[in-house]
Amino acid sequence: MELTATPRGRRDAWTRRVLGLTAIVAVAFVCVIGQLWYLQVLEGAKLRDLSDRNRIRVRPVAAPRGILYDRNGLALVDNRPAFTLSLIPRDMEDRDNVLARLAVLLRIPLPELQEALARVPADSLQPVRVRRGLSLEDVAKVEEWKLELPGVVVEVEPQRVYPTSSFAAHLLGYVREVSEDQARQGRYRRGDMVGQTGLERLLDEYLRGRDGGERIEVDALGRPVQVMRRDEPRPGGQVVTTVDRRVQEAAERAMAGRAGAVVVMDPRTGDILALTSNPAFELDRFTGNLGREAWAALMRDPAHPMLNRALQSQYAPGSVFKMVVAAAGLQERSLTPMDRTYCNGEFHLGAWTFKDWLQGGHGHVDLRAAIVRSCNVFFYQAGLKVGPEAIARYARAFGLGAPTGVDLSGEKPGLVPSPDWKRQRLGRPWTGGETVNVSIGQGQLLVTPIQVARMMSAFANGGVLWKPRLVQRVERADGTLAYSEPTRMTGQVDLSPAVWAFLRHAMAGVVSGGTGQAARIPGIEIAGKTGTAQSVSHSDSAKGQDHAWFASFAPVDDPEVVVVVLVERGGKGGQVAAPIARQIYQAIFLEKVAMAVTGGSS
Amino acid sequence: MILRIDRRLFQNVDWLLLGAAVALVGLGMLSMWSLAHGGASPTIVWRQLWWVGAGTVALVVVASLDYRSLVRAAPGLYLAGLGLLLTVFVLGRTVSGARRWIHLGPLTFQPSELFKLIFVLTLVWALTSRWARPLSRSTLAWTLLLVAVPFVLVVRQPDLGTALVLLPVLAVILVGVGVRLRILGGLALAAMAVMPLAWLALKEYQRERLLVYIDPFRDPLGTAYNVIQAKIAIGSGQLLGKGVSGATQSRLAFLPERHTDFIFAVFAEMWGFVGCLVLILAYGLLVLRGFEIAATAREPRGRLVALGVTALFATQTLINLGMVTGLLPVVGIPLPFMSYGGSSMVVSLMGLGLLLSVRMRQFQ
Repeated sequence: MELTATPRGRRDAWTRRVLGLTAIVAVAFVCVIGQLWYLQVLEGAKLRDLSDRNRIRVRPVAAPRGILYDRNGLALVDNRPAFTLSLIPRDMEDRDNVLARLAVLLRIPLPELQEALARVPADSLQPVRVRRGLSLEDVAKVEEWKLELPGVVVEVEPQRVYPTSSFAAHLLGYVREVSEDQARQGRYRRGDMVGQTGLERLLDEYLRGRDGGERIEVDALGRPVQVMRRDEPRPGGQVVTTVDRRVQEAAERAMAGRAGAVVVMDPRTGDILALTSNPAFELDRFTGNLGREAWAALMRDPAHPMLNRALQSQYAPGSVFKMVVAAAGLQERSLTPMDRTYCNGEFHLGAWTFKDWLQGGHGHVDLRAAIVRSCNVFFYQAGLKVGPEAIARYARAFGLGAPTGVDLSGEKPGLVPSPDWKRQRLGRPWTGGETVNVSIGQGQLLVTPIQVARMMSAFANGGVLWKPRLVQRVERADGTLAYSEPTRMTGQVDLSPAVWAFLRHAMAGVVSGGTGQAARIPGIEIAGKTGTAQSVSHSDSAKGQDHAWFASFAPVDDPEVVVVVLVERGGKGGQVAAPIARQIYQAIFLEKVAMAVTGGSS
Repeated sequence: MILRIDRRLFQNVDWLLLGAAVALVGLGMLSMWSLAHGGASPTIVWRQLWWVGAGTVALVVVASLDYRSLVRAAPGLYLAGLGLLLTVFVLGRTVSGARRWIHLGPLTFQPSELFKLIFVLTLVWALTSRWARPLSRSTLAWTLLLVAVPFVLVVRQPDLGTALVLLPVLAVILVGVGVRLRILGGLALAAMAVMPLAWLALKEYQRERLLVYIDPFRDPLGTAYNVIQAKIAIGSGQLLGKGVSGATQSRLAFLPERHTDFIFAVFAEMWGFVGCLVLILAYGLLVLRGFEIAATAREPRGRLVALGVTALFATQTLINLGMVTGLLPVVGIPLPFMSYGGSSMVVSLMGLGLLLSVRMRQFQ
């Protein structure tokens, strides 16, 4: 109504209001112009002088990388201050001469210095890090010659230090200066130290913290005159892993000089207590300056030290797999504990002859004895009774043929062959001979040590498959929780309680009086299964040597720990792998062992 | 028929307005390019170019839509915008707490930027709908409540800059609908009364910035570092500027946030007072044409949309220029059409699209 009543009046009012607002904005713009006039014309000369003499530098202060702890609060890695040689391009008057002097003084190849500077603009104020881990002697030399070396500075940065140079190398992973590719992606600055493998890589975002900065006034040579302001760096988060440093050390000691892997897992949670892979690499080589040749040599090393054998290498499981065949047969009722056979050391299928590892055979054996003494002939027959489909089904139920999902990169899935798989992949039908081979863990079957550890955990805990857990939680530097990882079940094997009991009992027999006797420790009841796997090797020198397996858990009644040992080309599982597991158990149950010994003597 | 309408729409495009905006985008890109030339990462130029492209598409889409249907859609947009603002909180929490082994790219869009336009549309919708007439105190109260919710969310984000831009825009639109100055003054007084409370709600660094405005030499190398370095950069440009290669303040990284909020200082150092006059002329032209469109629009929704968007541009420009030249305290507000940043660029160009849409349809 109002609108229609005074159309002209309203329109005028509107225009007036807009004009008023325009006037306000115009005044504001004039104010800005006035301020610009003041700054640029009236004060211009003075401010230009200030800009010419602007000698305030901003320099990053590296944040200490977070510490990784074991489950009991012991540090797995630590930091210590280290000296880094840096160049500030803008301060380097007479650059060629300075570089030449520096190269001679510290015996650094001149092209290396030139290359480092080639990537940044010549007037950059950002320090370019050219060498880390400078010796005290070198630092003294640079200080002594500082007047001849404008633009050359020594910075102090925290650097990783390890208990021993290859301690838990594959698990922790190495930290190295960001690569050219990573720098180009823009997530990191040149010269940043970045976790490249293992937990250091997995948790890099939490561990790296945030660099601080310093504002410094410098003299004409670019030397700091005074620190005007310092923003403290924010240290990285503290990681509490599931690893038990004592167990890890024991596993590494026990494996010394061997090639292979050890996985120690808690069957109640899936926690990884120890994980080793041998041969290992030296972590601290990466924190300093690893030259290109050294890197290439490491990559070419025929022993493959960078390979994490616990999850990146696949092996035939050998007789360890007999536990799967037994579980499948008992649950499907194609086997019973009463089945008996006479083993004379040979088994015939058509024109083929399959031999037992024991010449002359084991004589009369039932299922339990076949497990305890690892009789192949019994399992050749058992495998045919159970059938390849059921074997494959149970193998997959126990987590074989699929990655465990452990948070380390490059995990291999292994392989569980079955008639269907063979038809699809190779287009040929499955043969009885293959069933016979698979029954004792040979043939196409491939597993990783960490898969075997998860499988053994299932035998120990009554069928639960856990995702192997490496990290419990990450705390920020101020103590608040940044991340926590729950235990996670990824599968369940359903067997009747009687079957579980029988299998555990049989495995206890392996250690108490069978092929695994070398792992026996008075006072602790250990259950396990040995395996001796034929290696499919390319290298002629090691041909014929078998991989030795020992997969086990203890105590039998209330399992707390699973220990899986694989020794590449070690020989027989019972002779080579079982004694290694024994050493690890001794470290784990130190108190119990001591008690059993003193209790026995008093 | 359709063709004829299209041609008429096309004839009414405001070329002067568009020209001013194009010039500003060009000057912004030029400044960024010269930074890249001096050693900064050239990727910012390409990324910004990409955003300008995306923003141009958004501009054409918005301009081709009838602004009246956009005002009608305001309630939906309002709810969607509110949802986006809330997402920031939810995501913000999960990012640091949850499993995040896989690195996600940085979040590239700021919902609070987009909300500036939704804010204008919502206000126009609330004040021009049939139930809002004649304008009563209760309508006003409802409207204020409606915009208070997102305002609080933006403040809590915390994006003080954006929140500070919204208040003048609100005031301008209320003046536009004819709210008496006495009532506006009352509201302003009420707002002032709440100020001490707001001071308590501010983060430590925000308080520090305000104090530094009062006394810039309070901490010459702390918070005031930005202000002093920006003043040195601008002033050292003198009358004619130092050119691209001479702009040491900007190129040597003495100037903080130089390609985002402080881009004007880079420009001022390179092109001097004369260059700045040209730049301010372009902004003045932009704002003047915006007010002209508002003044000549024949229908209340068009008037208020044009007024609101123009107020948005003017406020952001003036606060940014005021802060970079040291007239106002430092609050994080980008310079429309010039600062580096995808959200700001796209939203500015969309706002331009709204202005064009009002202009093109004023004779229908």
